[in-house]
Amino acid sequence: MEVTIDKQYPIAANEKACWLVLSNITELATCMPGATITEQVDDTHYKGSVKVKVGPASAAFAGDIEVLGVDEATKQIQLLGKGADRSGSSASMNLTATITKVDEHNVTLTGKASVIVNGKFAQFGGRMMTSVSDMILQQFANNFDIKAKAMGASLSPVGQGSEGETAVGQTGSSHAGSSNHQTTAANTEAPKLQSELNGLAIAWMLIKNFFARLVGK
Amino acid sequence: MNAPLQDREAALMGMGDSRLRKEDARFIQGKGTYVDDIKMPNMVYMDIVRSPLAHARIKAIHKEEALKIPGVLAVLTAEDLKPLKLHWMPTLAGDVAAVLADEKVHFQMQEVAVVVAETRYAAADGKEAVWVEYEELDVVIDPLSALKPDAPVLREDLVGKTEGAHGKRNHPNEIFTWTAGDKVAADLAFEKADIIVSQDMMYPRVHPCPLETCGCVASFDPIKGDLTTYITSQAPHVVRTVVSMLSGIPESKVRIISPDIGGGFGNKVGIYPGYVCAIVASIVLGRPVKWVEDRIENLSSTAFARDYHMSGELAATSDGKIQGLRVNVLADYGAFDACADPSKFPAGFFHICSGSYDIPAAHCSVKGVYTNKAPGGVAYRCSFRVTEAVYLIERMVDVLAQKLNMDKAEIREKNFIQKEQFPYTSAFGFEYDSGDYQRALTQVLDAVDYKGLRAEQAAKRADPNSPTLMGIGLVTFTEVVGAGPSKICDILGIGMFDSCEIRVDPTGSAIARMGTISQGQGHQTTYAQIIATELGISSEVIQVEEGDTNTAPYGLGTYGSRSTPVAGAAIAMASRKIHAKAKKIAASLLEVSEADLEWEVDRFKVRGNDDKFKTMKDISWAAYHQPPEGLEPGLEAVHYYDPPNFTFPFGIYLAVVDIDRSTGETKIRRFYALDDCGTRINPMIIEGQIHGGLTEGFAVAMGQLLSFDAQGNIQGNSLMDYFIPTAVETPHWETDHTVTPSPHHPIGAKGVAESPHVGSIPTFTAAMVDAFAHVGVTHIDMPHTAFRTWKELKKNNLNIN
Repeated sequence: MEVTIDKQYPIAANEKACWLVLSNITELATCMPGATITEQVDDTHYKGSVKVKVGPASAAFAGDIEVLGVDEATKQIQLLGKGADRSGSSASMNLTATITKVDEHNVTLTGKASVIVNGKFAQFGGRMMTSVSDMILQQFANNFDIKAKAMGASLSPVGQGSEGETAVGQTGSSHAGSSNHQTTAANTEAPKLQSELNGLAIAWMLIKNFFARLVGK
Repeated sequence: MNAPLQDREAALMGMGDSRLRKEDARFIQGKGTYVDDIKMPNMVYMDIVRSPLAHARIKAIHKEEALKIPGVLAVLTAEDLKPLKLHWMPTLAGDVAAVLADEKVHFQMQEVAVVVAETRYAAADGKEAVWVEYEELDVVIDPLSALKPDAPVLREDLVGKTEGAHGKRNHPNEIFTWTAGDKVAADLAFEKADIIVSQDMMYPRVHPCPLETCGCVASFDPIKGDLTTYITSQAPHVVRTVVSMLSGIPESKVRIISPDIGGGFGNKVGIYPGYVCAIVASIVLGRPVKWVEDRIENLSSTAFARDYHMSGELAATSDGKIQGLRVNVLADYGAFDACADPSKFPAGFFHICSGSYDIPAAHCSVKGVYTNKAPGGVAYRCSFRVTEAVYLIERMVDVLAQKLNMDKAEIREKNFIQKEQFPYTSAFGFEYDSGDYQRALTQVLDAVDYKGLRAEQAAKRADPNSPTLMGIGLVTFTEVVGAGPSKICDILGIGMFDSCEIRVDPTGSAIARMGTISQGQGHQTTYAQIIATELGISSEVIQVEEGDTNTAPYGLGTYGSRSTPVAGAAIAMASRKIHAKAKKIAASLLEVSEADLEWEVDRFKVRGNDDKFKTMKDISWAAYHQPPEGLEPGLEAVHYYDPPNFTFPFGIYLAVVDIDRSTGETKIRRFYALDDCGTRINPMIIEGQIHGGLTEGFAVAMGQLLSFDAQGNIQGNSLMDYFIPTAVETPHWETDHTVTPSPHHPIGAKGVAESPHVGSIPTFTAAMVDAFAHVGVTHIDMPHTAFRTWKELKKNNLNIN
């Protein structure tokens, strides 16, 4: 089944920091709950995996990510991801993400995606697919926000000196699009990323949103 | 022994008696024996690896991880079945179906591999561990797109085959185009007509969803070389023939047993890959193998029903007399043509679509198409596509009535086949045996105060503030059941007769063995009643056995309401053979000629002399003790009954619905069902069957749907989504009857269990449409869920907040 998503998320970080996170695929992938980049094939091709668990269906997608475009001028990135799970689900996502500056400390992250899901997920989760996708993207945005803030901090004069190890999950060479400032999420306080897509949390958010809708929120 | 006649008659509990069901004692105590209750020593379990994709090429199947799981004994794929030539199997419709997917999967949840293990759990773990690599292919879900010139070719195994089992194939995804009736005559009627109406309608894909899913326990004895299989089958003898043909095991060494069956409704007619694989696994391992599918597997992969895209046209005079009917159907048969129909009828008896009406010219055309959906196309509680046909004609008559601004009862009266026209040959060639539609319609209209209902509806329509819309649905349908005469009806070449073997014991009790198999119809109860009346033996001492091919005579099974019309006739005829012999014995015992004897309830007596008689009990003893000279001992008979014609039960159904204008929720205020099934064997069982059929009809009309997304993913293949009405949702049913016996059936019975399903579905749709008729709506597709109805309200500006 196909789900189309078009969402905006406010991010409390400056444009430059946000762009650094967005344009670094490895970094970006870690914002996705349960996702990691396992291999960089070339400049625009990566291999990665995503673990998802929703109700009775759990899947470990292994797949390919292709960077279709990185446009620094418009602060836009376009990705095509395709993956399959051994136990019988497959998914593909065509994602366009854009950063729009609001002010010096805030941007809007716009995500437009068309997601096609096949197999178990599409059978069991049909009715929940849109809501679940919303939840996943919300968690993604939260993680992005955390990372971008950390990035912003590392870009500030104080943080600049503390050149440290690379971010969690990064493998292979650094991405061509990233700046000469290496990503340094490993500050004294490691930001707490939601590392796996949590079925219970999603269920709770669905219920919360359901009631929120009822009262007109 | 000279009890009053009425007492003796009552003691028989014969035909017409509302005898309690003999089956229920075990069912209500949980003492039934279903396939999943069968446990055999050394038994192992099978589970099925299924395709997550609707259309894909199989690149590789990796068994290694599965085989490492403790308890997993074997993983079988198409490659393993190939040497046995069992990776494909013939279907009942003249096509072939994959047993395990061979190079390609054609629908989501298709069988790809099976895992056999020591325990059910290990089998499930093994199934999870089999890794199949697929290459996704373009999916075709809609039959219209399947016929486009550039559509992906779904059945690569048929490439180049321009001739199918039912004639020419003009497109790689076309299965057949089948026509009936006279096209020239029909076209002429349309040219001359005052009025022409047309309507497209979609009869969506639904599933019979019996309470018990499909399954089997296959047990091959490597020492004796025989195969016993317990199976959920509505046709055990046909299964045995097919198994013997596929496996090469002599038919006499194959024993098929259908034990208690928890509902069939057509879903248990076909032969599924699971059965074949369990049998193969048992032969390979030399151990009993159990396979029982779960609910999701049942809804996703075993036989669906309907999925007909229909368009109908009626030509009529300006005063409402129908002159012609034309119908075009695009039939979505899924990946393989596995429809369960008599061989010569690829669209079943769809050509009963001229209904209860005297239509001089008619033509229909059905085009069967392959898509990436599960195969099937069974008669879900109906006789071979009769449900679709009845839906079409009943909808069309309403469309015509609305066009002419005629009352929906009046237009039917105007077009009915009249009582004196029977036997009536329809434009499609069916010979209707008997009917009295007008009497039945009048009885229903009077019972519900039809005029009063129409007046109430008019008042509600006039009131803009009415919180509800009121709709009245009226359907006057005729079914064709009891397949069927072997000169036109066969399954895999075997004529659709049925059989009965009766043995009367020395002490006067009896056992009857049948070629049919009950799935809830109550055969043990009703068959005994026929014998009781025919032979004067109390039904309490008559045993009825079915379902074991080692003991039962060959029969074609139970579906299409054929048990009473065909097997019921076989019982009567076998009884009459015994009756004739009994008469000879009685004449000898009473030392009179046969001509001097007359039959009275349970005895032969000398004509006019109440004191000189021999009861069946006396005669039974004599048959074994001192048979008359020249007669062989014993008292038994076998009869194979080949019906001369179908039977044509009919019904008049009326529903009143109230639709909530703010929510679209529909309340079935009243449902009145009059059925005429000819002679009534057990009124209580008839009523139960009608309640069941109406409830399933309600389910189909108001909620059931197997839908697919563009990628071929099944949406809602569990009971979370698939609507099964319970006592909470089910409306109150009012039942009524008339009796118009079938002139060609030995006891005049026509069959009843499916009529309520066939007749009620269009009644619900008719009522829903009728509620909107005043704003010009002529048709609304099923299912009539609250959401869809609410959208219809909105579309017509009839919704209120």
